[in-house]
This record gives sequence, C-alpha cells and structure tokens, in this order.
Amino acid sequence: MLEKDVYAAFKKIVGERNISQDPGVMDSYAFQWCNEIESAQRGEEPQRFGVRPLAVVLPKSTEEVQAIVRLCNEHDVSYKAFCTGMGPWAGLSSPRGIQIDLRRMNSILEIDEKNMYAVIEPYVTNAQLQCELFRHGLMHHAQGAGPQTSPLASHTSFVGPGFTSPYTGFSGRNVLGVEWILPDGEILRLGSYDHNGKWFTGDGPGISLRGIMRGWLGAYGGLGVFTKAAIRLFSWPAPKEWKWKTSGTIPEYDWDIPPFWKMYVLNFEEWEEYQNAMYELSDREVTMVATTSAPEGLAALFTNTKQEAIESIFAGLLAKTRNYIVMLVAAHTEREFEFRTKLVQSIMEKYGGNDLIEEGVTVPKPMHYGETVRNMLGGHAFRFSNCFQSTHGGMDTIAMAVRLAQLNQPVKQKYIDKGVIGDDRGLGVWITSYESGHMAHMETPTVYDPTSVESCLGYAAYQDECNQMDLDEALGMPFFIVGDDVHNFYAERTMNYADWIRKIKAAFDPNGVSDPSHYVKGGERKK
Amino acid sequence: MTLGEMEDMMDSCVRCSKCKFIPQLVIQSKRFSSICPSIDYFNFHAYSGGGRMITASAYYKGRIELTPEMLNVLYGCTNCGGCEVSCKWVYELEPNEAIHELRVAAVEAGVGPMLKHKKYIELVERNKNPYGEDPDKRPAWLTDDITTDESSSTLYFVGCTASYRREEIAVATAKILNSAGEDFRLMGSDEMCCGSPVYRVGDEKSAIEIMKSNIEQFKEAGIEKIITSCSGCYNMLKVEYPRFVEHDIEVVHTSQIIEGFLKDGKINLTEKVPLKVTYHDPCHLGRMAEPYIPWEGEKIEVLSQVYIYDPPKPERRGAGGVYDAPRNVLKQIPGLELVEMERIREYSYCCGAGGGCKSAFPDFALWASNERLEEAESTGASTLVSACPFCGTNFKDGIESRNSKMEYFDITELVLRSIGGDK
Ligand SMILES: Cc1cc2nc3c(=O)[nH]c(=O)nc-3n(C[C@H](O)[C@H](O)[C@@H](O)COP(=O)(O)OP(=O)(O)OC[C@H]3O[C@@H](n4cnc5c(N)ncnc54)[C@H](O)[C@@H]3O)c2cc1C
Ligand code: SF4
Ligand code: SF4
Repeated sequence: MLEKDVYAAFKKIVGERNISQDPGVMDSYAFQWCNEIESAQRGEEPQRFGVRPLAVVLPKSTEEVQAIVRLCNEHDVSYKAFCTGMGPWAGLSSPRGIQIDLRRMNSILEIDEKNMYAVIEPYVTNAQLQCELFRHGLMHHAQGAGPQTSPLASHTSFVGPGFTSPYTGFSGRNVLGVEWILPDGEILRLGSYDHNGKWFTGDGPGISLRGIMRGWLGAYGGLGVFTKAAIRLFSWPAPKEWKWKTSGTIPEYDWDIPPFWKMYVLNFEEWEEYQNAMYELSDREVTMVATTSAPEGLAALFTNTKQEAIESIFAGLLAKTRNYIVMLVAAHTEREFEFRTKLVQSIMEKYGGNDLIEEGVTVPKPMHYGETVRNMLGGHAFRFSNCFQSTHGGMDTIAMAVRLAQLNQPVKQKYIDKGVIGDDRGLGVWITSYESGHMAHMETPTVYDPTSVESCLGYAAYQDECNQMDLDEALGMPFFIVGDDVHNFYAERTMNYADWIRKIKAAFDPNGVSDPSHYVKGGERKK
Repeated sequence: MTLGEMEDMMDSCVRCSKCKFIPQLVIQSKRFSSICPSIDYFNFHAYSGGGRMITASAYYKGRIELTPEMLNVLYGCTNCGGCEVSCKWVYELEPNEAIHELRVAAVEAGVGPMLKHKKYIELVERNKNPYGEDPDKRPAWLTDDITTDESSSTLYFVGCTASYRREEIAVATAKILNSAGEDFRLMGSDEMCCGSPVYRVGDEKSAIEIMKSNIEQFKEAGIEKIITSCSGCYNMLKVEYPRFVEHDIEVVHTSQIIEGFLKDGKINLTEKVPLKVTYHDPCHLGRMAEPYIPWEGEKIEVLSQVYIYDPPKPERRGAGGVYDAPRNVLKQIPGLELVEMERIREYSYCCGAGGGCKSAFPDFALWASNERLEEAESTGASTLVSACPFCGTNFKDGIESRNSKMEYFDITELVLRSIGGDK
C-alpha cells in the first residue's frame, strides 16, 4: 500500500473518482497476455497476473500528468503510463509503482488536412482516428496490434509495423512532434510546436530529440509520459463522397468497397521468386498491403469463424499455398487502377506466380477489405488459439526477411517435433514490406499453451535459439527487444548500444522512477 | 457454469480492450464508437467486460476479496452483453456470463447483491413486484374498453414496469391484441414478477424459485403462448427460464406479434403518424435474446494446439436477436420516417438501466441514457422509439434531465395511433 499521505496527494491531483488502490481493480491492470512465459521462467506456475500496482490514476490533462510524475519523484514511487495497455510491456516491474492510465485523455486535437498531420491525445484509438480522417480524404499509419489500440502509444513508444506498412511505413517513422513529460516531471515539446503553434515537423527549430525519445524500438513507457503527439498522414485512396458503410449482422458483415480497389493473393512456388516479386512490387509502389503469413494463416485471414478457417484447411488450402503475398491495390482513379493492376499482373507472370483469389483457393469477402484497412487481420490469428507470441524477428531488407524465414523453419520444426509449440510446419511468419522500398519486417508468431509449463518454457527456449541465430547469422536488427538481458545479448555485437541507452535513461530519469519494465534500467536508484 | 468451470476461459483474456468498443468494423465515428456504458462512466479497466472477467478470475483464485469497491465494480454494469458481442468477433470468451457468475458467487458468499437490490428483492417476494406496489392494483391499468378472455391459452404477461409505471404500454398492447382479434388472458393480481431484477443481480436461488412457481402457474392455467411487451420479461421467459426450468410455452414479443398481424392483414395501419423516429434496440430483445442451447460434448485437438468443440457449440454472438420485427413494423406506419443511429442491432448502446443499475447507480443509469439520447438526437429524429418499458422509463428520465426536445414512445403506442385505437 502507498503511505496514506502519498495516496491522498495523488487523490488531490486527479480527484476521488479517478484513483483506486483496490486489489481487485489493481489486478485488472496486473493481468497481461504472455506474462505466463515470464512466470514459468521464474519457476512459478504459468499465470497472467504480473506485478500489481499500488494505485492506478486516471489523469485528464497534461498538468495532472506532470503533477503525478513530480509527486512520484518526490516520494520514490515508480510509474508507468499506458494508452490502452495491451501487452506485458504496459505493466509494471517495480513493486512500489503506480499505473498511469491515460484513458481520459482522448481527444483528436487537430487534423491539418493541407499539411497532412493530426495531433492526438493518448487514448484516441486507431479506428476512431481513421473514421475522422476519412472525412478529410486522409489516413494514418495504424500498428498491427489492432484498431482498438492507440496510435500515440505506437508512434511514441513502439516500432509499429502494420498492414498498410508498404504505403504508410511504421509508427516510429511517422511521429512528428510530441508533448513529453520527462521522467522528472519537466515538460518538453519536440518539433516546431513551441515555436509557432503548428506541428508539421518533429525536428527543429530546437534540437532534435526524437532519436533519444524513442530511437528504433521505443522506450515502452520507460522514459516518461507522452501526452500529445503529432503524426504524419497519408492520402486515402477513395473518393471524398465515399463513406465507411458496414451493414448486416455479425459475423457476416458487408462493407462498401471503394471503387478502385482489388485484392490479390500472389503465390510463388519458391522463396527466390517471392523475393524478387516483393522487391519489384514494392519498388513500383503498386500496393497498400503486402503481407505474408503461413498457409494456415491464410485460412484464418479471409474467414469469419474458427470452424470456417479449419474447414478451409481441410478443403485443401494448404496444398495449394506456398509463399504468398496478400496485396491490396487501392487507387484514386480508374486510370491509376488500370495501370497498377496491369503492373501486378505482369510482375506476377514475370516471376511465375499465380493469384489464389483468381483461382478460388481463398475468397476475401467485401468485409475483409474493410478489415484489412482497419487493421483487423492480425486479430484473425487469435481465431485458432488465444495464445501466441512472436519472436523478435528482424526489420531490415526484403532479402533479409526471406533469409530469416528460411533459417527459422528448421529451428521451429525442432520445437514442433518436441510437441511444445503449435504445428505450422515451421512456416508461421509475418512479413510485410515497408515504405514501398527495399525494407521489410519479419517475425514468427508461434502458438503455445499458456497453461503448460513445458509449452511456456519450450516457447521461451525457441525464442532464445532464434535470438542466437540472429547474431550468428547476422540477421539484421530485431524489431522488438524487451528488457535489459535481451538488450545486453544483442549489444555485445552491436557496439554496446545498450550502454548508451542506459546513459540516456540515467540522465533523463535521475531518480529512476519511470518504470523501465521491458526497457532498460538506468543507473541505480538513489534510494 | 460456475466460476471454476470458467477459469480457463477467463484466463485466456488477451486484455485487448475490444470489449470496450462496438465491433471495430462497424465503427463510423469516434463519438459513437464505444459499447460499454460502464467503462465509459467509471473508466478503470476493471469496469469493462474483460476487466470484470479478470477480477472474477482473481476472486476465484483467492487473490482478492469482494470489498465495497469491488461490489461497485461488479454491480456498476448493466449486464447488457455488449462486451460479449465485441469479444466474440474473434475470441470464444463470454465476459457477460462470467460477470453473472461472479454475481452469483458474491450472493452465495453473502456479500452481494447491493443494499438497494436486497430491498427490492424483498419487495418482489412480498408484493410480487420490485416497486413495492400493491399486488391487487396490478391490473389497475385495465380499462373497460379492453376485452380479455380468461379461458384463453394465450397470456399477455404484462410485467411489473408496464403494470405500474408505463401503463400506456399495457393499454396499447391490449388494444392492439383486441383489434387483431387475438384472444388473450391476464394473470391480473396473481401475476408475479418474471424474476429478472432478482436474477440479474446474482440471486439465482430466489430467481429460480420465482421461475419455477411462474411456470407452474402458467401450466395450471393451461397457457401455451405468452405475449410480452417488455424486453426484460421476454428475455427471462424465452432465454433464461429454459436454462433452469423446462417449459414448452411459446414466448413472443409485441413487436413480433404485431409484425405477424400486419402480414396476415389482422390489423391495418391507416392513420398517419408523421414522425421522424429512430429505434433503440433493447439489449434484452436484441443481442441477449438468442436462445441458450445447452451444449454437451468435448474439446478435440484438430491441429496441434488448435481445438474445436465436438459437436460444434451453438454460437451466441448476438446475431439472432429480435431486430427486424420492430423495424418492419415501424416502416409500415404511414407518415413515419425511420432513421438509424450508428449503434444498432447487436451493437446497440445500452440505455443504462439494466442489471440493477437503475436502483443502485441511478446517476450512472441517467448518464448512460443521456449518452444514448445524444446519439438519437444526432440522427435528426424528433422521436425515440423502443420496445421495452424499462428502457422507456430511463429514457424519459434522461429526456427530462437534458431538457431534450425529443419525445419517447413505445412501439405499441405508435401502432395503436396508426390503427386509430387511441381515439
Ligand atoms: C496481440 C498483440 C499483437 C500486437 N501486434 C503488433 C503489431 O502488429 N505491430 C506493432 O507495432 N505492435 C504490435 N503489438 C505490440 C504493442 O503492444 C502495440 O503496438 C501497442 O502500441 C498497442 O497500443 P496500446 O494502446 O495497447 O499500447 P500500450 O500498451 O498502451 O503501450 C505500449 C507501450 O508504450 C508505452 N506507452 C503507451 N503510451 C504511452 C505514453 N503516453 N507515454 C509513455 N509511454 C507510453 C506503454 O508503457 C507500453 O510499454 C502487439 C501486441 C499484442 C498484445
Ligand atoms: S474480454 Fe475479450 S475483448 Fe475484452 S479484453 Fe478480454 S479478450 Fe479482449
Ligand atoms: S455487460 Fe455491458 S455494461 Fe457490463 S461490462 Fe459488458 S458491455 Fe459493459
């Protein structure tokens, strides 16, 4: 429990209704997906309950957040902020810590149509922002975690690959400026905002601190609190009069597809042909989506229930599916559409591919177009099992993603043979290209049994082996590194970068109260 | 199902927060994107469907106790089922069922329900209604121009709210039935509360007693068909009763029977009702009204670590509620224009009154009705229509509190006007 006077001081900031220390309420924050792996590694029964916060506060404004952070510094209380809080990295590591739930800070502050940026608060979700942007003919980059998660969380604190990455890049690339409560409570506004009240650039006229604030991976809440973010926007390829319209009833919704849109699932017998096609499709900027998963994954993408997905597997989908790219050509005009679709056809033919949609192997319904651009397809993976985790993967070139996938297969197969992880024949990957260029992202989602110690530990061992392979085979930079140990592991052969991150952490967080949990710890705590 | 039987299910929550919003594909605006009035009002994660499921698991595991604040968490929920629809877009979890089971467990442990609930449960037991009204005055709404037939095997089960608070609905229903030539009888002062307010707050033992005695009474009276104008009663009789007491009585809601009358030409909508209306789907007539089909079978591993139910488990995703009947009726009323809100059908936003909230959390209930009214107003409609006296009461309170120009009518009132029966 927090000392009575400390609790009372927090209460004074947010008001009685917006603070709690009830154990039950706290447990709803301690519980996180995948915590069971860490608990199994500690030799405990696998469970999702992690560190229970001493209190949760719900601030409404920047000033309240600042006051909370200052109080934490004064009383040696750790804090961790989050937006929607999906994932163990949103939880605490310090037992003397509080959780700052930013749910009440949920406004879209500005949409600058002409200069193509939006300024948002933490608890604006991807779906909410998207709805408002469409009215302006714009869209943003939404991370693959889902439409219900926060673009601010991802843009400020995570890498952020998503389904529209070929077109919109990744979150880290799209953050322009932020309002940042530093770990000690000072406010810093990055970018042009302080200068002219407009937020079109993240750098200058002051110094650029974007690298320090988030760098490649993001600080997972270990470096203060972001209360506003300006993010870059993109043109939405649909006529202005087009409206997002869903009809029907769950699970078979119908959705109005904009006029010049078409989906493909291009399938290539060999990885080499796949790789060449992916490079060329990216280079020619033809597609908004370029996503690859296991054949099993394809079964889940364009079906609406687990039963349907499994039936499509038994109907022979796996035998007809090799290395495929789910693509969405989304054009503004008819001429653009014609040009792009012809180009797709010719690239497919050039590399000997076939279109699984054309051949009826998989049939996306109109609602799946909607789900694709609303970033809902990742959720379909949960249809098979409520529990999977992904390896740290790599974010590098398309060729590197392919190499990673190839090298990963026999490693994964070994653990499948041991019976500790789900059987996707070692083919379970998620690859997406980035920014219509040479870049791609690759990770290997893996199903395991969260209630079994063997399975949790088996998954952890598989992940360790993948990490080792990253280093031994020089497989590029992981898109996701959690905690001091894993940072140290990679840092050994990457110029000890983690020491620099630690120095930054120590300099910005002298009292060590911004709970690092899955980030790095800075210097020793003073008290 | 007990909390113990639900443990695996509760522990597989991903804490993804999808249950705070309507299914993501149907979101059209930021303003009307949420599904859960409880998280919208109270804000802590524990007040969402997923959050409550986590606390239910924590309680089952002995990690927490049911403190006064936990009782607020547990009962500050309208039991509207919205969370479950959104969760089931992808997962196989049943947060609303878990919430109900935690309520049952809280009552069994002697801590639940809340004081206000205990008081009205006492009144139900004593006066047959939660309002504490005189049981003899139950049929006081009955006017001389209404004909009933005590030998009929069709019962109009009026329900407590239409009997004592929204008498106009009872009158309209009875007159429509008369006009269609549909014989029906009443239970009069012998009619007992359907048990909904008792059941919803977790006093399952008392609720089952009520269900049993009601079914016995119906059987003794030779009832084969029950008509109800209340979504709460409909839900109890149609969905919850069969989970505990066997019966083969047909249960229909007024919107369904009126739709049938129109199809068979038994009533004619001749009078114009020149209103622009929007329709609110009551939770208990909509997503919660799917029959509960008990399932027995086994979980089999079809692919490694991928399980299915054999035989397939009947799905309850909210698709099978009564959505079209009220709309089909409204659309046939001459002069009436129906416009839709953004959140409809299985993703309708709850009025805020259910699950014992109107009595234990009146401020929250009123706030939620205001949320819904704002959405109704945003359609440009002048009138909000629904098909439940309890939703109606909360909306009327909401309209008053916000000085809204909007009017509220039950669907039966508009039908009565259109058949000229209100003259
Ligand atoms: C099932 C699943 C799938 C995922 N898929 C993807 C994916 O495809 N792509 C991807 O990029 N990520 C993915 N993630 C990872 C990640 O959790 C999300 O991208 C994250 O950004 C989701 O948003 P959120 O609102 O839940 O973030 P939160 O959980 O709220 O925050 C994420 C992290 O950022 C920190 N943070 C959030 N807001 C602030 C703030 N205002 N100030 C300071 N720190 C803050 C939190 O402490 C936390 O460490 C996935 C996670 C899960 C559980
Ligand atoms: S109950 Fe379902 S929708 Fe809600 S957080 Fe848990 S998994 Fe997600
Ligand atoms: S039943 Fe309704 S009020 Fe209760 S948690 Fe679910 S959505 Fe919220």
